[in-house]
Amino acid sequence: MKTTLLLSATCALALTSGLAAAQDKGVPIGHIADLTGATASIGKAYAEGVADALKYVNSTGGTKLAHETVDYAYDAPRAVATYRRWMSSLKPVAIQGWGTADTEALVDTVTKDQVPYFSASYSGALTDPNKKGPKSTKAAPYNFFYGPSYSDACRALAQWSAEDWKKKGGQGKPKWVHMGANHPYPNAPKVACSEYAQELGFDVAEPITYSMGPGDFTAQCLTLKELGVNYAYVANIAGSTTALLNACQTVGAKVQFVANVWGYDENVMKAAGQAADGVVVAVRTGSIWTDNNPGMETVRKISAMSDPSGKTYRQLSYITGICSAAYMAEAVDWAAKNGGITGPNIKQAMYQTANWVPKGLEGVCLPSTWTPDDHRGLLRVMIYQGKVTGPTDAKDVSTLMSDGTMSLNKVAEIELPRRAEWIGY
Amino acid sequence: MASISMRPCGDFRTRYADDTTIFPDRAGRNWVIVGLALAAAAPLFLDAYWLELLIRIGYYGIAALGLNILVGFTGQISIGHAVFFGFGAFASGYLSREWAVPVWAAIPLAGAWTAAVGLIFGLPAARIKGLYLAIATLAAQFILEDFFARAEWFTGGVAGSMAAPFEVAGFALDTPERFFYLVLGYVVVLYLAATNIMRTRDGRALVAVRDHYLSAEIMGVNLTKYRVMSFGLSSFYAGIGGALYGHYLGFVSVEAFTILLSIQFLAMVIIGGLGSIMGTLMGTAFMVLLPEAMDGIARGIEGSPIYEALNLQVGLNFLKEMAIGAAIILFLIFEPDGLAHRWRQIKAYWKLYPFSY
Repeated sequence: MKTTLLLSATCALALTSGLAAAQDKGVPIGHIADLTGATASIGKAYAEGVADALKYVNSTGGTKLAHETVDYAYDAPRAVATYRRWMSSLKPVAIQGWGTADTEALVDTVTKDQVPYFSASYSGALTDPNKKGPKSTKAAPYNFFYGPSYSDACRALAQWSAEDWKKKGGQGKPKWVHMGANHPYPNAPKVACSEYAQELGFDVAEPITYSMGPGDFTAQCLTLKELGVNYAYVANIAGSTTALLNACQTVGAKVQFVANVWGYDENVMKAAGQAADGVVVAVRTGSIWTDNNPGMETVRKISAMSDPSGKTYRQLSYITGICSAAYMAEAVDWAAKNGGITGPNIKQAMYQTANWVPKGLEGVCLPSTWTPDDHRGLLRVMIYQGKVTGPTDAKDVSTLMSDGTMSLNKVAEIELPRRAEWIGY
Repeated sequence: MASISMRPCGDFRTRYADDTTIFPDRAGRNWVIVGLALAAAAPLFLDAYWLELLIRIGYYGIAALGLNILVGFTGQISIGHAVFFGFGAFASGYLSREWAVPVWAAIPLAGAWTAAVGLIFGLPAARIKGLYLAIATLAAQFILEDFFARAEWFTGGVAGSMAAPFEVAGFALDTPERFFYLVLGYVVVLYLAATNIMRTRDGRALVAVRDHYLSAEIMGVNLTKYRVMSFGLSSFYAGIGGALYGHYLGFVSVEAFTILLSIQFLAMVIIGGLGSIMGTLMGTAFMVLLPEAMDGIARGIEGSPIYEALNLQVGLNFLKEMAIGAAIILFLIFEPDGLAHRWRQIKAYWKLYPFSY
């Protein structure tokens, strides 16, 4: 009898669970985020940035955006299922996406359904709207992202490494290696980057595989040491970078790590401590949380949407999430004034301004240009280097950054040439 | 048959054929027909969200039925069911993509292909039992999962591959409303087929292998043949289920077929009732609806103190997985024979009311 009651209660609850989610009125926006999955260490911050920015946009006038956040735990089929569900329920006019695997899987679908997709995946395969490039694999006219593509960021890091080698007076050919998991996101820049590294005169070694989750990477670090690698491109996310840095410090591998945009941030510096000193990272934004300029004032106001005290330290991914949402919001605004808020109009809105910076975010979001033939919005890569001067376990990230124990300093600004043969891969 | 039916007075059998009918009494048969009619009319009054859930129950139910044939009826154990499900999905996508096989033919072909793979991985069952067989099937899980991640020609590697939508003479079944009928058709046909198998000589042999394999062998049942056949049959069902999943979602990726999914299939079968066909569907429905119910509860209490205390915005995903584990444990303790047994008890209670003893 008790079991019966339990079962009937479960069924009753199941029946009441199908209530629609979006209670706010406004233009429906889909938001796919990873809050609990393999990339949650950076996914959560980015998702908070997007959510706070959309809340800020709603509070300061402009077209009201009602977004529905779905946590897909970095499981690509779940994201595809969410998209399909949205097509019959929420019917979003634009989507803020996340991962490479699901974004690439949805390219053809969003093109058919004409839904602009702003991903947090910067895969080179998403940059060619018309599949014109010699190495393009697909046409992605409805895919946009704010930031340099993984391939371009890697090329910039390779360029910095080549200059660094010359500056250090290195003799002979420096050795370059790609380190990452066997997954679409780390695999994205492999081909493009090794080609450019060879062009720059590097001796490119066989890629080293290590997992996206933290683990024991002693074996990989020993390989680095034995191969005599000078510059190792870190393709995975921040969580596994911490484990990698610790393992390599233990093993004594003296390598200059150059990390992709997701691979290194203030949290890694705190977690890995001294091991994280000197790592170079490609940064998508013009400022970090500790900077002060008019754009950062707006960012602090946006951060106050979820943290009124202003005490939370916002890492690099948070600020990038704001930029991604801001470009989408301005595109929706333009579409509202020029023919109605539809997918194709929002796509057209993205092409209206060259060297576009969203209002209020000058100095934070770098000027980006999208054209109907080229969705590489940003070719300027900020190269930062982390510096850790003392122990990081006692204090929190905020204190460590403000008292100077940890710092992220800009060491270079690389503007890549917009080569036609570099599009699409 | 394992079920005890309480027939009313005057309803007696005169032929052996009547003894082996699927529906022992007219009322049961009529209820099933009413249920099918309701299901066929479902797209008219249910929205896409519910139809998606029903479709999910459909293709998982088919795969779970395969596992129930293996675990419930033959007494084997398999912790590798998810990769056979995945193999069906990839095979059907591959056939429809690379060989331009029309999807209506690709699905059964994928099932046959998966059955062949299942037969190969079922060969250890000829020699080993119990925990050792479980480890052997675990090997199948890891081998095939690795194969999916590496075989770019077949699966698209780690990036996954697309599966064409189901199309018949230009009419595409790509919306939940239309695909629902395809899944309903497959569920009806395959569930009837399984029930039929169980009342044939081979089905009785499978049950004999489960109940007392020594006696079965003495009686002349070829243990190796039936154990391996059970694996093949179960993989066929898993393959069909996987193919339906692949063509519905349109995108198949190796990340979906982890050992967690294998455990979920086992949970569906245990919760539904080992050795019960109807129980499989009930168990699958329970497993599919449980996370949705939790989602609904979480959305209902959004903003309340409990929501904040449990940090449900982030914690909900974890709570869902905990709930699956808790459901398995609670069912094993309080209802080891599953929902099917509980349903039979409820029916018996009302049939014998007020003399329920």
